[in-house]
Amino acid sequence: MTTSTYNDTQDKGGRTKVRPPRIFGILREPVGLVSLLMIVVLALLVVPPILILIQLSFADIADNGAIKGYTLAHYSALFSGAKFFGVLWTTIVFAAFATVISLLFGGILAWLVERTNTPFRRLAYLTAIVSLGTPYVLYVMAWLFLFGRTGPVNQLYHWLTGNTGDLLNVYSLWGMVLIEGFLWSPLVFLLMSATFRMSNAEMEEAARMNGASVWDTIWHISLKLARPAVLALAMFVFIRDIEAFEVPALVGIPGDVKVLTTDIYLAIREFPPNLGHASAFSVIMLILVSVLLYFYGRISKHAERYASVTGKGYRPRPFDLGSARGIAGVIVLFNFAVVLALPLLALFWMALTPFIAPVGWTVMKSVSLANFIVVLTSPSYLSLATNTLIVSITAATGAVLLTAVCGWLAARRKPGGTIVDQLATMPLIFPGIVLGVALLNLSLRSPIPIYGTVWLIGIAYLIRYMPYGMRYSYNGVLQIHKELEEAGVASGAGIWQVLGRVIAPLLSPALVAAWLFIFLISSRELSIAILLAGPNSQVIAVSMFDLWQNGQAGELSALGLLWTLLMVLVASAFYFLERRQSAKTFG
Amino acid sequence: MSLTIVKSCAVGGLAAALFIGTAAPSFAVDQALIEAAKKEGTVVWYSTLIVNQLVRPVAEAFQAKYPGITVKYSRTPAGEMALKLQNEIRANSVQADVFDANSAFFRAMPLENLVEYKPEAAAHYPDDLKDPKGRFTAVNVFTMATGINTNLVAEKDRPKSYEDLLDPKWKGKMAWTTDLTPNGPPGFIGNILVTMGEEKGMAYLEKLAKQDIAKVPASQRVVLDQVIAGQYAIGLMIFNNHTVISAAKGAPTTWLKIEPLISTGNYVGIIKNSPHPNAAKLFEEFILSKEGQTVFQKASYLPADPDVPADDPSLKPKQGGYKATTITNEMALEQLPRWTEIYKKLFP
Repeated sequence: MTTSTYNDTQDKGGRTKVRPPRIFGILREPVGLVSLLMIVVLALLVVPPILILIQLSFADIADNGAIKGYTLAHYSALFSGAKFFGVLWTTIVFAAFATVISLLFGGILAWLVERTNTPFRRLAYLTAIVSLGTPYVLYVMAWLFLFGRTGPVNQLYHWLTGNTGDLLNVYSLWGMVLIEGFLWSPLVFLLMSATFRMSNAEMEEAARMNGASVWDTIWHISLKLARPAVLALAMFVFIRDIEAFEVPALVGIPGDVKVLTTDIYLAIREFPPNLGHASAFSVIMLILVSVLLYFYGRISKHAERYASVTGKGYRPRPFDLGSARGIAGVIVLFNFAVVLALPLLALFWMALTPFIAPVGWTVMKSVSLANFIVVLTSPSYLSLATNTLIVSITAATGAVLLTAVCGWLAARRKPGGTIVDQLATMPLIFPGIVLGVALLNLSLRSPIPIYGTVWLIGIAYLIRYMPYGMRYSYNGVLQIHKELEEAGVASGAGIWQVLGRVIAPLLSPALVAAWLFIFLISSRELSIAILLAGPNSQVIAVSMFDLWQNGQAGELSALGLLWTLLMVLVASAFYFLERRQSAKTFG
Repeated sequence: MSLTIVKSCAVGGLAAALFIGTAAPSFAVDQALIEAAKKEGTVVWYSTLIVNQLVRPVAEAFQAKYPGITVKYSRTPAGEMALKLQNEIRANSVQADVFDANSAFFRAMPLENLVEYKPEAAAHYPDDLKDPKGRFTAVNVFTMATGINTNLVAEKDRPKSYEDLLDPKWKGKMAWTTDLTPNGPPGFIGNILVTMGEEKGMAYLEKLAKQDIAKVPASQRVVLDQVIAGQYAIGLMIFNNHTVISAAKGAPTTWLKIEPLISTGNYVGIIKNSPHPNAAKLFEEFILSKEGQTVFQKASYLPADPDVPADDPSLKPKQGGYKATTITNEMALEQLPRWTEIYKKLFP
């Protein structure tokens, strides 16, 4: 561990002090107090759910839900038979291929948009933002409709070939891989485009001047430079895919494809809900994902070495793709069509028809706006929307404030930074429903009457999405040169001043991106909301789940589309304000 | 989650009772109960019914009848509802007064947690729809049928018996929910075992397991939607009223009377130590009264009150002239674990 310049200059005598042992050091330096504070806050948020999870996994649970003893039965049930390893293998295949699709798709797009003169750049951003604001259930439902047995894709295939068989069976491992891959490509796009935007183009330009072709430059320079960032991101998406819940349930179960989370899903749906089995499964996942997180941490450390931004000013020149510009345009348009336009059109179709029907003229007669009218005139949706906005804004703001400081501590290797990073990343592994059960338990025992309020849901989302905030701010801090902080300290600023007046403004683009991401994505999470919502804290997600469960696909689609529209409007307003603010900061 | 499905009918008689006198039948809700409920001012209802079809209409009707008492509701699938209530009870912090759910829910909610209260409104309900001690009463009933896509299943091919479902031409073309309640596969299995007997029944189920029935991880309604969309030809364990609702909108679907069908219930009950015990009783009286039951009828559900017909009367066994195995709450409590085990073994 190196002593940072910042800590040394805090020494009142003005001399460089020999660094004290780390444990004591944490308390002696002002920055150590900040670390300690963050560790305490994070531990309070993260550790109790883990403990409850572990407790449940060993618990012998009575029918009324009380714990009547402890047992290893849940674990032995997991490992009995070869099934577990088969499921584990399927999970790894699913997560690996889905990650590859997200990375290829999102990564190529990010590079094109940030580094080249490809057309339709704005469309790519629009696609990412809108698709992040669309709840999973809707998104998956749209995909299943598009690729289902009677969906337009197979219909077109029948019409073109005269075959009656199916071109593709979406209820399969490959269907799951595709949908999950598309689902997360916007996240990859947003994170990668930040990397590409901030990294220095000098080396690429040097290669080009020395006669390297566009493809050589991409292969030898752009990709090599981005490798640590890509690897870290790949690991992150892989972990996310391992704990994915929606696609395995909605696509995998009908197709008889089982992954680890399917078992959790089915166990929770037994009567009484088999929490012990689900928790044991979750603990195994926790261990699995912790191992991955360890490697993830190592990759992230290397990422710093590749940082190419120095204090020097630069302005990257976009690649001229030349004749390949058309191809690039097609890729951007393809992304727009596949990730956004087609699913939204499918939803629109479902919202207009009184029952789910194959696309065709015969159904056209019954097309109506009735579902939209129901949603717009229903008084209950107004309060649901208000509650949901409170929850999303609380979660996004809380997570960003917290992770801005944590990201800085971690990226600058401050004392305790590693612990902070580990703690803030851990919630990535809780399946939503497990976190929900843990918080249900805790809130009912809490002296503060938080059970049944929207704040409880807000806190749950904060915990759940903290890891994403962490990624944004960590990467953001890495790209800010230390000398600016040091200048602040040299001019007599204290730690909070440095954080508030130097780091925060410079970090603002990353923080805004993080805020937007969490804000958009938190209304997608259904499983937590269903467990935690009470009569006074109903949120949109509960309604959506309700409509989905009860097959009101038309109204669900209408509600989903209107909701997505609202989210995009809020997001755009926020984005616009930030742009103006950031223009002031950066001049 | 399975309980979701349960929404049906219960509400009949009491509402009428509330009308104290006039057109209403012989009984009336005690004025003292109304006063006590008004003092509490609120009733909290955890429901598995569909919000815009039933929860809100019932709440509105109740509030119109008893101004000053607000109905607060939380719509939760039964599995989550069980988790929530179990935790509330253990933490001694019960938030809900009254709930409705199907039989599977009661597996996770021991009856000793429920208030013994025999609603007057349900006095004339048949015994198999209520607990002798009054801890639960059916608010609506369901008939579980076989739903088909009429474009994909020709008139002459329509299965007429359970044996017909074993025809190789239906292999991979049937679907059912993953709902582990009497309204899902366990109920189907129970019906087969009760009707055919253990030995023949198991032999039948083993053959059925080879038909590759697709599992849809959502409600029976979603299964039917996928049948309507053509993803599958036949849906097993479909609510018969759903096919009628969809057919009225022009969807290519109908229900088959493969006998015996399965009849199940959705039950209301009151949680002990709840914050508004009197309002809970008043609400239960209302939802089981004629007035309350009419809301279910209007929503095309099957009212539990034997005197309130379904809006399409043929949906109920008696008026529809079909045989159904009634799975009572007691029977479900006793047999559900076994049926579920068989399901998990044969249809993994």
